[in-house]
Amino acid sequence: MSLLAVSDVSKRFGGVVALDGVTMEIKDGEILGLVGPNGSGKSTLINVLSGFYPADRGRVSFGGADATDLPAHKLAALGIARTYQIPRPFDTMTPRQNIAVSHMFGHSRHSFDGAREAAQEWLEFTGLADVADLGVGELTLHQLKFLELARALATQPSLLLLDEVLAGLNPNEIDESVEMIRRIHSQGITILIVEHVVRAVTALSDRLVVLNHGAVIAEGEPGEVMSDPAVVTAYLGDRGRSA
Amino acid sequence: MTPRGRVLTGFLVAAVALFFVPALVEAADLPRFFVIFLFTAFFWIAQSSSWNVLTGFSGYFSFGQGAWYGIGVYAVAVLTGKHGWSFITALPMAGLAALVAGLGLGLVVFRLRRLTGEIFALTTLAIAFVLAALARLLPAIDGGTGVFMTGTPIPEFLGDFTTAMYRMTLVIMILTVLAAYLTYSSRLGWGLFSIRDDESVAGGLGVPVFRYKMTALGINSFFAGLMGGVWSLQLGFVTVDDVFNIRVPLFVILMSVLGGLGHWMGPVVGAVIIFTLSDRLNSAGLTDVNQIIIGSLLVVLALAVKEGVYVRMRDRWVTTLVTFFGVMAIATIFDLMGSLISDFAVAMVVTVLVLMVPDRLRERVRGGGDGPDQQEGPPVGMETVAETGQ
Repeated sequence: MSLLAVSDVSKRFGGVVALDGVTMEIKDGEILGLVGPNGSGKSTLINVLSGFYPADRGRVSFGGADATDLPAHKLAALGIARTYQIPRPFDTMTPRQNIAVSHMFGHSRHSFDGAREAAQEWLEFTGLADVADLGVGELTLHQLKFLELARALATQPSLLLLDEVLAGLNPNEIDESVEMIRRIHSQGITILIVEHVVRAVTALSDRLVVLNHGAVIAEGEPGEVMSDPAVVTAYLGDRGRSA
Repeated sequence: MTPRGRVLTGFLVAAVALFFVPALVEAADLPRFFVIFLFTAFFWIAQSSSWNVLTGFSGYFSFGQGAWYGIGVYAVAVLTGKHGWSFITALPMAGLAALVAGLGLGLVVFRLRRLTGEIFALTTLAIAFVLAALARLLPAIDGGTGVFMTGTPIPEFLGDFTTAMYRMTLVIMILTVLAAYLTYSSRLGWGLFSIRDDESVAGGLGVPVFRYKMTALGINSFFAGLMGGVWSLQLGFVTVDDVFNIRVPLFVILMSVLGGLGHWMGPVVGAVIIFTLSDRLNSAGLTDVNQIIIGSLLVVLALAVKEGVYVRMRDRWVTTLVTFFGVMAIATIFDLMGSLISDFAVAMVVTVLVLMVPDRLRERVRGGGDGPDQQEGPPVGMETVAETGQ
């Protein structure tokens, strides 16, 4: 069953076509990998799905209901949460407060009282309990990426959009993050993961969708998709195919 | 008792205690000026607290305080002076007119994403200029002649003029600070803090950004206008130049920044300090240097106590209490300054100066401090969850 369905979505910025008639779906309970070369439209798609930009054309439905052109906060309330490639914590707040505030909004919409206790759960889940009350400026990139995860989880989403959570991490940290994503998935959360690190994304994903120049050029089981000639060409150019 | 219950009890105790102050002043045969001094302080506390809900909490820097205040003043002046309304029916209109104007502005500027930062600040400043021009041009409002308020009767149950002013400003001040506190300790306040930090991330987490900013602007303009309505009586003769000038916005900014943006108590503390100091300098005949002194104080404080005086006071409460009451006692017993308010002003200034001593220096001098100082507090305005969570 599809949790989120995108049909014929287009988005242009001035003369640049960022998304060109994208049709795809995210099935309930899966980890879907979204890959593609730089500038292929992956981040734009995440921004459209999370309500940051309205699409110029096309429909989006979530959980069977039409969700086209809903603003970000309404999509969050329906259960879509996202993270950012470059972490964007609320920087006057501690990690605990960052998580507490998102617990009060999103799909969970809890009241102010008790938000702190709820934050503790996600702090422990992501291993940030030791740094919970420091300023966010004191956290490492790895910790900030986990804070992004914790903050998204505290909204109690059914769909989590991960925008390059592995970028900039060392191999050890990548392994830890992959493990964390598996643990999140095992809680019953559907995941869309946009990633450059192909090794990690093929290992994690049930299915892959490949974007190039704003259009879907391949989708299916990871092993098959990554050996698809069109995908190889998109990544490596024509020489890649002949090699 | 829950932390919220404690704070609300504090509000009740403060309101009741303050209510009986004029009677005490009379019984103790102190000058009537004390009462006027206090209700002017209430005026500034309400103005800066309401401003803080918008600017301190949501980060949208507003120069619009003069506009909301001015709308309140003129609403009462016009309705009572030109249309024969009674003061008590005109007063709610002062709040409502300012609220409508505030929401009208919000409807336009908060829909346009580009109107943030400096552009938002300038837009709010422009509103006051436009209103001033309108009031000056339209005879139905002012027409450049001014409006007399001296003939406006006040309901008798409020007492004589000074007592009535005191009671009305007290009620509005308490309600305004209460609104700021309830905002601060709720989902609304946290939504606003997250908007201040990163508006689009806040939206992505589910904060209804537009509605929350409108609410903050609504609280700001309503209470500013309501207090303006009462203040029209104190002005006596309402003129465009007196009402729509830069004084109100500038003072609320000074007071809130000095006391601490982002915490509901910051503007209360800042308003008391700046108003007292300014009043004392004026009464000492130093009107000309008044603004220089207050301006320099602000610069020094902004550098030394970035988080605002209130947060310092809370973190070093022992130092604060000992210094304040120590100086107050010495000044009163030896009658150094000749007036209670001057003693109060001196005690406050000394306390603020002591609080300015940086943490590093304190540790070196004393080899420690009073307990709570040692640990780094959370960033300004954000400690409530920690308090409430217990």
